Amino acid sequence: MAVNPEEVDVRTDVIRHEIAASDWEAGGAIRQASLWRDAWRRFTHNKAAVVSMVFFLVMLLYVIIVPFASPYDPNAVNFNIAYLSPSLHHPFGTDEFGRDLFVRTALGGRISIGIGFAATFAILIIGVLYGSISGFVGGWLDNGLMRFLDALYGLPYLPFAIITLAIFGTVNFWTMVVALTIASWFTTARVMRGQIITLKENDYVRAAHAIGARWHRVLFRHLLPNTLGIAIVFIFLELPNVVLGEAFLSFLGLGINPPNASWGSLAEDGNEQYLSHPLLIVIPSVAIAWLILTAFFVADGLRDALDPRSEAAA
Amino acid sequence: MALLEVEDLRTYFKTRSGDVHAVDGVSFSVDRGRTLGIVGESGCGKSVTALSIMGLLVPAARIETGTIRFDGRDLNRLSEHELEDVRGRQIAMIFQDPMTSLNPTLTIGMQLTETMQRHLDLDRGEARKRAAQLLEEVHIPNARQRLDDYPHRYSGGMRQRVMIAIALSCNPKLLIADEPTTALDVTVQAGILDLLEELRDEHEMSMIIITHDMGVVAEAADDIAVMYAGQIVEQASAEALFDQPEHPYTEALLGALPQLEGENVREGRLTAIPGRPPDLLNPPEACRFAPRCPYAGGDSCTQEAPQLREIRPGHLVRSAHPASERAGMPVGASA
Repeated sequence: MAVNPEEVDVRTDVIRHEIAASDWEAGGAIRQASLWRDAWRRFTHNKAAVVSMVFFLVMLLYVIIVPFASPYDPNAVNFNIAYLSPSLHHPFGTDEFGRDLFVRTALGGRISIGIGFAATFAILIIGVLYGSISGFVGGWLDNGLMRFLDALYGLPYLPFAIITLAIFGTVNFWTMVVALTIASWFTTARVMRGQIITLKENDYVRAAHAIGARWHRVLFRHLLPNTLGIAIVFIFLELPNVVLGEAFLSFLGLGINPPNASWGSLAEDGNEQYLSHPLLIVIPSVAIAWLILTAFFVADGLRDALDPRSEAAA
Repeated sequence: MALLEVEDLRTYFKTRSGDVHAVDGVSFSVDRGRTLGIVGESGCGKSVTALSIMGLLVPAARIETGTIRFDGRDLNRLSEHELEDVRGRQIAMIFQDPMTSLNPTLTIGMQLTETMQRHLDLDRGEARKRAAQLLEEVHIPNARQRLDDYPHRYSGGMRQRVMIAIALSCNPKLLIADEPTTALDVTVQAGILDLLEELRDEHEMSMIIITHDMGVVAEAADDIAVMYAGQIVEQASAEALFDQPEHPYTEALLGALPQLEGENVREGRLTAIPGRPPDLLNPPEACRFAPRCPYAGGDSCTQEAPQLREIRPGHLVRSAHPASERAGMPVGASA
């Protein structure tokens, strides 16, 4: 016997009738999500995190604005002004081809950070999908997916990325993103799986099943939003790793092709003459360190802010 | 015809060492507009019975035999998809711990409208109005403003009221409350029980209240089933059960209850029931209560399992020594 459709309608009508009988006016102030307000308050109370956030944003502004504002062509060769020391005209000096390092470092930052963000989001998407499906479905599928992950874990990071790049044959922005994503999405997937498995045991998930919610609703409405905090923290944890990975590959000569440069390939160029002109390697290295350190401190602050239980006595 | 008829329900859990007979041949029925209380200690199978009805058992558990006839349909034979349409709409359930039963990332309003939008043909505005009404119905002040609050702004008692409101949102025919007051303060408990009774009458629902607390069923239930080791050992109307308990286990449960007033006020310590329930992996082929029963001794109790029999009209008992057939004192007790 199926549910009598008429009966369903009757019940909806009865409920409509009850609604109409009430003296409700639509609207009413919707208050701000206090969850995020609380998190923001906790974050701003963490001085190291706030200062790092400012430095992080300064770096972003530098790489975004300077190439537009600079009067110099980043790729124009002029041997008359090679190896200039820092001055008002060239804050970071010039390299062996007389190119302005201030604008080249900013452009290199665009590539490094751009690859970093693109790969981080790719990692997040793949990791969340893989991990949440594995944790949500459980059983043999979970077992299979996780053993596959274990096998991938066995492969060292750099050779994995190098082999991927070799298979592509060319190195450009997107092949770099793909190579770095493939080499580093495992941890995210594992963490997400663990989160989903923990969350799955929550009573509100049982309650969602008890009101007849279908699986996709349980997953997307009740489980994934609860991993949002961790996902945000992960962006700032994964970004420096990817930037560092890219720098590493570029430093080994597997990076973006000249005359374009990332921070890693700038450092590689500088490496050849670090005795005579140390600034050429110091500047890109400081830029990489700057980004990585600030991102880690921001991640730390965000973790404390989004997970009140781990909050240090403040 | 009763709204819900459960017949010979057997739910087993698969483990490495064999099947655990968590629910072993349970039959009962719930009439429209009535409340059935299922009482028993931890692990006696009362929650598993409820989850079997809802079809929400964990993968390791399965319904071995039995029929669960709800409103003319056998729920046990429905597909998962069909069951999802029944859950929340025809049968609603509230859980023990209101502190964890609400999703912390969704507002109360969103969680209230979720069920309605799932099962009823209501648009968002209508669902929101109805949600505010429901909150008023469960006596939450400033209902409209509080719709946009997140669960952490609600106290435990208020959260349980919200859970009840969610359960009622589609006017279900049956409400299963699994230990609805156990996690709450004693002062809040009575309020929740009164609310449940009030709403049952208003919405013309039937109710199953699952609890270990004799006080709760005394207050809320019309009929009571006492469960022990996966079986119903005594079943009667609430008055009959409290006036004339027949099974030694029921007597022991009542004896373990503190009594502050009335004719037989006890003094001194409460009487605990000695021993522990049997291992449900290999339930004994005898009376399951015999090892803890003060009246069992040397007779049929240890050899054959007693059947549930009607000792008086409407009063079922599973024991060889019901109170009204007993002549002497407990074995070993001195006069």
